Amino acid sequence: MHKLRILTAAALLLSLGLLSSQADAQSARQSTFVIGGDFNDLITLDPGVSYEFTGSLITDNLYDTLVAYENNDLEKLRPRLASSWKVTATPTGSRITFTLRDAKFSTGRPVTANDVVYSLNRVIQLKTPSSFLLTDVAHLKVGSITAPSSKVVVMDVPKAANPVIVLALLTFNVGGIIDSTEAKAHEQNGDFGTGWLKDHSAGSGPFTLNRWNKNAQVALDASPNAFRKSASIKRVILRFMPEAAAQQSALNSGEIDAAWNYTPDAFNAAKASGKLNALKTPTFQLTYLGLNSAKGMPFEDARVREAVRYAIDQDGIIKSLLQGLGRKTQTIIPLGMVGADPSISHPYNPAKARALLKKAGKENLNVEFSVPTGSCPGGVPCADLAAKIQADLSKVGIKTTIKQGVMSAVLTDYRAQKLPMLLMYWSPDFVDPEGNATPMSDYAAKSLAWRNGWKNATAAKLAQSAAVETNQTKREAIYKKLNALMVKDGPYAILYQPAVPIVISSAVSGFNRDANGNVQFEKISKK
Amino acid sequence: MQHDVTKIRIFGRFIYPVSFAEESALFTYILRRLALMVFVLWGVTLAAFLISHTLPADPAAAILGNNAREEQIIEFRAKNGLDQPLPVQYGRYMLQLVQGDLGKSLRTQNPITEDLKQFFPATLELTLIAILFSLLFGLPLGIISALNRGRWPDLLARIFALLGGATPVYWLAILALSIFHEKLGWLPGPGRLDSYSLPPPVKTGLMTIDTLLVGDKQTFVDALRHLILPGIVLGAYSAALLTRMTRSALLEVLGQDYIRTAKAKGLSSRRVLNKHAMRNAALPILTVLGALFGNLLTGAVLTETIFSWPGIGGYATTSAITLDFPAVMGVTLIVGMAYSVVNLLVDLAYALFDPRISYS
Repeated sequence: MHKLRILTAAALLLSLGLLSSQADAQSARQSTFVIGGDFNDLITLDPGVSYEFTGSLITDNLYDTLVAYENNDLEKLRPRLASSWKVTATPTGSRITFTLRDAKFSTGRPVTANDVVYSLNRVIQLKTPSSFLLTDVAHLKVGSITAPSSKVVVMDVPKAANPVIVLALLTFNVGGIIDSTEAKAHEQNGDFGTGWLKDHSAGSGPFTLNRWNKNAQVALDASPNAFRKSASIKRVILRFMPEAAAQQSALNSGEIDAAWNYTPDAFNAAKASGKLNALKTPTFQLTYLGLNSAKGMPFEDARVREAVRYAIDQDGIIKSLLQGLGRKTQTIIPLGMVGADPSISHPYNPAKARALLKKAGKENLNVEFSVPTGSCPGGVPCADLAAKIQADLSKVGIKTTIKQGVMSAVLTDYRAQKLPMLLMYWSPDFVDPEGNATPMSDYAAKSLAWRNGWKNATAAKLAQSAAVETNQTKREAIYKKLNALMVKDGPYAILYQPAVPIVISSAVSGFNRDANGNVQFEKISKK
Repeated sequence: MQHDVTKIRIFGRFIYPVSFAEESALFTYILRRLALMVFVLWGVTLAAFLISHTLPADPAAAILGNNAREEQIIEFRAKNGLDQPLPVQYGRYMLQLVQGDLGKSLRTQNPITEDLKQFFPATLELTLIAILFSLLFGLPLGIISALNRGRWPDLLARIFALLGGATPVYWLAILALSIFHEKLGWLPGPGRLDSYSLPPPVKTGLMTIDTLLVGDKQTFVDALRHLILPGIVLGAYSAALLTRMTRSALLEVLGQDYIRTAKAKGLSSRRVLNKHAMRNAALPILTVLGALFGNLLTGAVLTETIFSWPGIGGYATTSAITLDFPAVMGVTLIVGMAYSVVNLLVDLAYALFDPRISYS
């Protein structure tokens, strides 16, 4: 009898132990958010160096910027590390004065104005691919940013730069504030700690970096010191799953909570099933045809370029190829951004296209059409998209010969102004119409307008004046004019503005991916 | 390699008593092969370098992307020596290489050696499991098939060999994931561990070994279970080929006079098979196995992609797409080296099965 009691008690204890360990595992799963996606673009987690989508997504959760956009509202700046800011005119340009809130780094040290000065100066001095945002766009130099007190940062912006754009730039990870003491402690050969910060974190964001196993996963843990506290999610894991089929399988089996790269077919199937949340998230990306307008090139005549725009069946592309994962737009400023103008439209009109070609004397045009291999934005194979464009253009008498090449080869020729016509896409470097306006319309910027051999003094002047205009109403008016000019005369036929299909488990709430590709993990919770 | 009668000791096992002269002959042979390997690998670097650079594309444009400004492109080229003539670039690379430095990745600026240390063990672990599966499955199936020539077990084995050889790995991987992971839930899905668990600190890079080293049995079992599906998918083609190879090699041997003699002497079928038939059929099988190992190492890219396996395949693909030449060269070198070492081991192993083989 005694033995039986002992055995019963042991069994009870064992069951309790098992139950409690199961409950612990369940609770750990509830407080862990796992995303599966193609995150292979990740190179570094140093906010001052990272210039990739995944780097930006992660560093936005590891570091705080002075100002930020919240949720999907990318037109209104909100306070973050700066509780307030003030822009004043100065004889040399403008001055932005930031007042810092009380905040602590994950290391436990308080965030001070000196950390802000150090963080921004190191970006300027590092000369990384993203440094140009502060040096060439914001025209900042070492010495432009000062700290009169531990809570006040002063930024002197020269006349060449627009403080509106400077503030927009500071929302990007390049404006992430680093614990300067920690970074200095890990400096090697004057690298400003970039070697260490590549796979460590020293920010005040809601999460800290637990580990990054290359090509496998990145794990973030909630920071107890953060002011953007993560109430529900204690750990975020980004699983590297380059293949959409693997993401689907893992999401269906509950291995992951969100999938980043669904194909249009799978996305619509998930949407129809009702078991998962299929989110069509916006982007500022534009998929376009580049029409080389240089002398002697097929699109030298503006009427031919306009004819191409009338000949493309955008609705057909969005409906049949993208299966709804894109928006119709024809202006160089994407929808959702200041200066976008949805009223400007180029209806599908093959008859008008033929008439324009006839007027230009180009009724039987033969063009080589360069197309990158792989998928185009929105998940559609670029080859399929090119075939649809080829069919649309042939209806109006433009014969195209598709020449597919790897992206690197296409880009090399594009940069050398060699391509008569190509299928390509573009994302602005920062959330401001300037990110598209100058590259796409100013030949002297040696970017897209240059690559397409398109030189238009009026367009360049409009872009330049909008870039320095601080009055938002006036600025919007200039962009409207620029949009209209580009739709009539520019070297692009904008095809669509893609959406990113993200599918999440129905147990997840608070997930929001903005058009810039960022997600505030601290706002997520799981049932 | 000469096929004259001699005696040898290999892998510590006495095939025949060996003399000091014979033992030193073996070492001379190994040294000669290793020296030859250096030339082979040099040839590999030259071929890889030339092929990589015949592409009409600029690595700076590929790595910095569409948005990069012209100044950035020029600066990148200068910083990484890409503005130098090809012979200079190759010379610099070789100079680094002879000092044991594989250089830095153009894309990530990581030392290539560090990258390879991370990614190669993952592929090696998967490849070893695939080889194990193909041996455990292909060999017995080939033997059963040969011993039952023309009967239903033979037919089944040949159907398997045909299917295994003809099914695209990509399709098989998606099918396996969908059925055994998603629908039935018998086996784990993509990755090397459960999505919610974190890997142990990297010691060897082989997840099963690393989990054992920290004494985490639960994660060890998890890591082992994660190897099953991708291992089978990757090994399916090899198992099929091995089945066919074993069958045909064994059929040829079973028709020989000495087998008939052995049977006539009253030896049991098992003894005839083990002592006489298999031993003689082993050489072609061993040759195929060596070649398969190399193919699996380089051919794991599709399996790795579907199963989100952080191996050398994905690294090589990303590097090739972005024209990250030093990384591509690093991968080519390590795979070439592994291939050469395996071939050397296979050549040495011949002596285990055939005492007539000498390395003098």
